[in-house]
Amino acid sequence: MNRALPEMLPCSDMTVLQRQRARLKWQAEQFQQQSYFCELSGVFTSQNVHVQGFQQGGLVSGGGDSVLSNMEMTRQLKPDPGLEAAWPELGKVDMGFGSCGYGNGPSFDMNHAISRTSSCPPAVAAAAVEVKGNSEKMGSAVGRESFKKRKVEKLQNSKVVAEDESKRIKASEEEEEESKITGPNTNKITNHKKENSGDTSKDNSKVSEVQKPDYIHVRARRGQATDSHSLAERVRREKISERMKYLQDLVPGCNKITGKAGMLDEIINYVQSLQRQVEFLSMKLATVNPRLDFNIDNLYAKEEFPSCTTNFPTVGMAPEMANHSPYLQFNPIQQVVSGCGVEMGMNSSDMALRRTISAPVSIPDASFLNTTCFTGPQQQIQPSAPWEVELQNLYNVAFTDTIDASDLKMEM
Amino acid sequence: MRPHSSLKQEFLKEWIKGLQRCSFPKKSILERKKAIKLSADIAMASARNGTTCWSRALISSAAKDGSDNNHLVKQILGPESDRPAVENKAPARQASVCKKILKRSCRIRRRGRRKCGAAAAPSSIAKHLVKKRRQILRSLIPGGEFMNEICLIEETLDYITSLRVQVDVMRSLATASVRGTE
Repeated sequence: MNRALPEMLPCSDMTVLQRQRARLKWQAEQFQQQSYFCELSGVFTSQNVHVQGFQQGGLVSGGGDSVLSNMEMTRQLKPDPGLEAAWPELGKVDMGFGSCGYGNGPSFDMNHAISRTSSCPPAVAAAAVEVKGNSEKMGSAVGRESFKKRKVEKLQNSKVVAEDESKRIKASEEEEEESKITGPNTNKITNHKKENSGDTSKDNSKVSEVQKPDYIHVRARRGQATDSHSLAERVRREKISERMKYLQDLVPGCNKITGKAGMLDEIINYVQSLQRQVEFLSMKLATVNPRLDFNIDNLYAKEEFPSCTTNFPTVGMAPEMANHSPYLQFNPIQQVVSGCGVEMGMNSSDMALRRTISAPVSIPDASFLNTTCFTGPQQQIQPSAPWEVELQNLYNVAFTDTIDASDLKMEM
Repeated sequence: MRPHSSLKQEFLKEWIKGLQRCSFPKKSILERKKAIKLSADIAMASARNGTTCWSRALISSAAKDGSDNNHLVKQILGPESDRPAVENKAPARQASVCKKILKRSCRIRRRGRRKCGAAAAPSSIAKHLVKKRRQILRSLIPGGEFMNEICLIEETLDYITSLRVQVDVMRSLATASVRGTE
């Protein structure tokens, strides 16, 4: 990156160089401090050459691009958990950018990757911001005024600046002629401006967008297209990533997987397995209950719907159930809570039944489906309404279960 | 997270109602299984009360005139055929047709483009993979073809929870009945 310097810089700007180097050192320190970013910094330094190539040639070298994209893909979600805690905005934005990085130019990719790495002081950020602007537009030069304006506006929003700064760290490594560190007064922008009017307008529009009360709360990235389409797309991408996170929590085993494709794969497998389970279980039910459901339904209809509060049906059925229920032991509540439904289903339902038979008021036992309702055996008397609801639900389940048993026994 | 228990109870209620309503023919196992599954699906979908897209799509696809289990569905739905799902039938069909045409045309266009692109950049490969998987997901979720990505993921979330509920309830019922027979 230093190659560019002698070409572009006037000799008088040694202070600029010094500042640049100081900034770079600081950035390097930042990188090393954070564990995530150690590897990233390594990648960055290795990619300086690529960037240089890009800069000078103005071309996107396929290799560099691929390297960048790969890096981005692999690291897309890794720093996010940690980052999100610290820099929720950054993380979110990064997610979106990470995913959109595929489509953009390599400089964008770099910047996105960089953006996750560190938060820099606003001064550095401002510098990087300008550098970024420079790096993007290779060929054309713009007036300093546009730069100044942009920089000032950038500095006003430190958070924004930090974001951009992190992105532009990479670019700044090449753009050493820029002087941005100390603030608006150091607008000694060299003739290495590579901004064209388009960029200026974009930046201005972007910055202005930031400043005005924005109900959509979308920040356009510097240098990125700020037309409504890309903004909307970015919002959409962020939404998608947010929801993918929820899915990650829902689908077991998805925590370690990063990347949309992998997660989608897991989700697909999970949905398919659930659907297959439903099929299998319905087949099982069909085999087990030749006409059981009928009786269940009849009894259920009789008992369930009219009685929401009374225990009489329960009591009436009690002796029958007691006779038929194969489980005479009294299972503690903890078993219900821990057993979680499937294996303990019968046990808990029986237990619940017995409890309701014995002490209708005492235990607001939920059906075995409600595995999360209980906190302990001490939780006895609750307001009547939820208890009755729970009892009703209990009847739903218990009746069906025990009635199954009773019916089967009667049939046989 | 939404409490599972209320959902389970709701589902169970609806399911029992539905099972009750179908005239259980003492026919083959497969038919019974179909009826059970169908009633379970409809119960699951109606537990959502038409708030989610997949539930509506499920009910409407089950209640389609051309389907073979239409009579069962009618029986199950019975007096509750005021669902918005029924209304969704016609527009859903049109939408599906339109979407299919669109997809076909896009696919043709994309095929040409893909050959030119030669999948050089891994980003495009990744995009392609993700798109493929999204297609698969769309085919899995009922009514998924009509959703955009955001909707798709939301519906997937909901669908997964409902499926879980369904599986849990069915499993417990099955185990209960199995144990009852022992």
